[in-house]
Amino acid sequence: MNRSMRIGVVLTSAVAILAPLLLVVWQSFLDGPFFARNVHPTLGAYQFVYEDPDFYRALGNSVLVAAGMACIAVPVGALLAFLLVRTDLPGRRWVEPLLLTPMFISSIVLAFGFVVAFGPVGIVSLWVKGWLGRLPWDIYSRSSLILIAGLTHAPHVFLYAATALRSLGSDVEEAARSTGAGPLRVALTVSLPMIRPALMYSAVLVFFLGFELFGLPLVLADPKGELVLATYLYKLTNVLGIPSYQLMAVVVMVIVAIALPLVWLQNRLLQGANRYVSIKGKAQASRPISLGMWRWPAVAFIALWLLMVVVAPVCALVLRAFLSSWGEGVNIAGALTLEHFRELAHYPNLVRGITNTLVLAAVGGAASVVVYTLINLAVHRWHSRWARVIDYLVLLPRAMPGIVAGLAIFWVFLFVPPLQPFRQTLLAMWVAYTLVWMAYGMRLVSGSLLQLGPELEEAGRVVGASPARVSLDVTLPLIRAGLVGSWLLVFVTFVREYSTGVYLLGPGTEVIGSLLVSLWAAGAVDTVVALSAINIAMVAGGLLLITLFGRKAHHG
Amino acid sequence: MVLLAALPMAGAAAEGSAASPPDGYPRSYARIIEAAQKEGSLSVYATTDGSEVAALIREFEAAYPGVRVEYADQNSTEIYSRFIAEVAAGQGTADLVWSSAMDLQVKLINDGYAQAYASPEKPNLPEWAVWKNEGYGITAEPLVIAYNKRLMPPEDVPRTRADLETLLRTKKDFYRGKVASYDPERSGVGFLFISQDVQISRDTWKLVEAMAGTDPRLYTSTGAMMERLVSGEHLLVYNLIGSYALQRQKKDPSLGIIFPADFTLTMSRIAFIPTEARHPNAAKLFLDFMLSKRGQSLLAQRDMAPVRTDLGEIGVPRPPAEQVRPIRVGPQLLANLDQLTRLRFLKQWKRIVRGL
Repeated sequence: MNRSMRIGVVLTSAVAILAPLLLVVWQSFLDGPFFARNVHPTLGAYQFVYEDPDFYRALGNSVLVAAGMACIAVPVGALLAFLLVRTDLPGRRWVEPLLLTPMFISSIVLAFGFVVAFGPVGIVSLWVKGWLGRLPWDIYSRSSLILIAGLTHAPHVFLYAATALRSLGSDVEEAARSTGAGPLRVALTVSLPMIRPALMYSAVLVFFLGFELFGLPLVLADPKGELVLATYLYKLTNVLGIPSYQLMAVVVMVIVAIALPLVWLQNRLLQGANRYVSIKGKAQASRPISLGMWRWPAVAFIALWLLMVVVAPVCALVLRAFLSSWGEGVNIAGALTLEHFRELAHYPNLVRGITNTLVLAAVGGAASVVVYTLINLAVHRWHSRWARVIDYLVLLPRAMPGIVAGLAIFWVFLFVPPLQPFRQTLLAMWVAYTLVWMAYGMRLVSGSLLQLGPELEEAGRVVGASPARVSLDVTLPLIRAGLVGSWLLVFVTFVREYSTGVYLLGPGTEVIGSLLVSLWAAGAVDTVVALSAINIAMVAGGLLLITLFGRKAHHG
Repeated sequence: MVLLAALPMAGAAAEGSAASPPDGYPRSYARIIEAAQKEGSLSVYATTDGSEVAALIREFEAAYPGVRVEYADQNSTEIYSRFIAEVAAGQGTADLVWSSAMDLQVKLINDGYAQAYASPEKPNLPEWAVWKNEGYGITAEPLVIAYNKRLMPPEDVPRTRADLETLLRTKKDFYRGKVASYDPERSGVGFLFISQDVQISRDTWKLVEAMAGTDPRLYTSTGAMMERLVSGEHLLVYNLIGSYALQRQKKDPSLGIIFPADFTLTMSRIAFIPTEARHPNAAKLFLDFMLSKRGQSLLAQRDMAPVRTDLGEIGVPRPPAEQVRPIRVGPQLLANLDQLTRLRFLKQWKRIVRGL
């Protein structure tokens, strides 16, 4: 890309990102909705929040949960990636799609699965209680929340780490093996340090996700009234009776204030990223590391993780979909029913919701990856202040909890005349999703770009290719695996996204995630579980297809 | 060929018959029907699930061919936010807003967002259900005490609030962590229900005190609360919306339902036609249809108790008329949204429940 194109891309993305955010900033200094008559500038909202003891409790909880989550998700995710990508672990091809399932399921539903499995009268819990006489855990405690959040976010880290590991040559690992290092040592001292940029990106993102965490705390911390920042927003919505946008905006300001120094820190840490370049001018096939005697501990580790995070909650959820009642004193066999599925027929929006979700995730997801790649290419190997600005910008939409981001984007589409015709279309939904998940997609694509040695592109330029040609013929083909990986990530994220779309939702633009939330709130748990079970089945089918295609591509 | 040619005529005949007003309506109503058919559609923002009103919409569309209903269900805060922003942007909004957040609806009407319409069904409605010809309560759904029949000792089952209070004081340890209700701090309807309780009887605070002694669990979502009641994690829920409980009970007989005999509060889903409605006539038709005998019985089939009292036996269990205390559709609900009153109420609640 030439300089003016780069600047153009940077400016366009800046406008798209900043428009909703500036609305929120502005809103935080007003005493009513910004669009209402008779609103006045004031610091009242800041004062209200800063004087609210619940705010500090929520903030403290969020910091604790986010940090704890990152501490669990990063090592677990990295280890999973190493085992599945770099070693000869048995059955690894089949494990990978299973591993991603927690990402496909809306977090409210997944959390509910945990309650059905491990809650006080959960299916697993009752069995354990029968054995031990008491339940050794409390799923509604803060430590359970951190553990569950950490384990369910390991797949996010896994995807980043796996993408990076795949583009890593195996020569260095083989060198280490030949000097007698065991697989664990290779992982800890060679492979994982080589993908440090990817791990750091994912650590920072998981930490952010911790601040944005909504579904898990809503279900798991709700009964005890433990707040995190995103559920504190709920309280703010209600405490004055009418939605208080200025108060919500202040909370967003707080999250942004936490985000900016973190991005700065991340950039400092990554300044040495050149050290990690590994796709160089020499093609080399990587060979898996033999696990040897570590084989069975590795299998046990993965099996335990799968059992806790995927098998138990998903099975509990699916089982719940076929039960008229469950819990203490219920004979499961006598409670089996197909009724909930029959009832789905009463749900006219369902089919539309499913189609829209798939279109948005598959087609929209691909389009989003194109956008992310374009922005990435625009700042790729460009040592300019513009490029650094983008680093900060892309994380900003993520600093807004989905529901606020969705509201702000809804405002933009409503009050900016050229955008008005698109407000009630899937296009608006797509823009919202793309913006909200920009940090994710951007990092994934840039993770692949970072590992690309500059000499290949230089070679292109030396033979006289234009910058655009180099991007198209050299850079893009080399990061193809990374792009497919990002598309998969974006697809799954869009499938399960629920809070961003609620304001843009209208007749004709329903998505499953938002339907689930409204059903859950109205007490239609039976419909929620049946719909989730169908959703899981769809996803499982999709994953199977991807695996089969992946294998065909692999052998073909 | 003859058959094919006859088809459009049959269609026209159907339309012709639909254009005649329902029995008992003024003859001038035909003009509204005609105008509505010209408008062609109406958009409804509602908190009631689409699946619950699917049959109602189907019959409405059959009764008035050419008028299509675009129904969008969302939660009450979303509806409120969306509606006021859309009106401010002058971008067109719903033709009918129908929400269970009674206080928010009354605020919108009070703020001048609704247009007046004297429904021909108005004489059939109780006086508490209509405000200024603008806000119409469509349902009268009791708030109940729900309990787990499987696990709660039958002799414990309370009939009144006083029973409940005594039970929770005498068997405090047995019910520790087993009682649930809405969190008025985080749930708008939760606030509405408990503050109405207090208005009817100051003794409510004593009940709250007794509940506080059992370390109650407080929720924002009806679904979560009901699920944990039926599974046995909780034994009793105070102030659950009866329509959801009744529906769940049909599938799961272990759910017990009590209409408190001292008084049973009923809430209503309020509908109004916005001043900015682009299809006001279609909205009028739909509002009237919801209030008509047929519309009300269709809602009753989905366990939403009708606001009309002239339907006779409708198949939804209802508390005896004399113990019912409806939450009035009217300006007194605005007090709920007064910042100081609200914060003072919540402060008192927190002091009792959380010891803060």
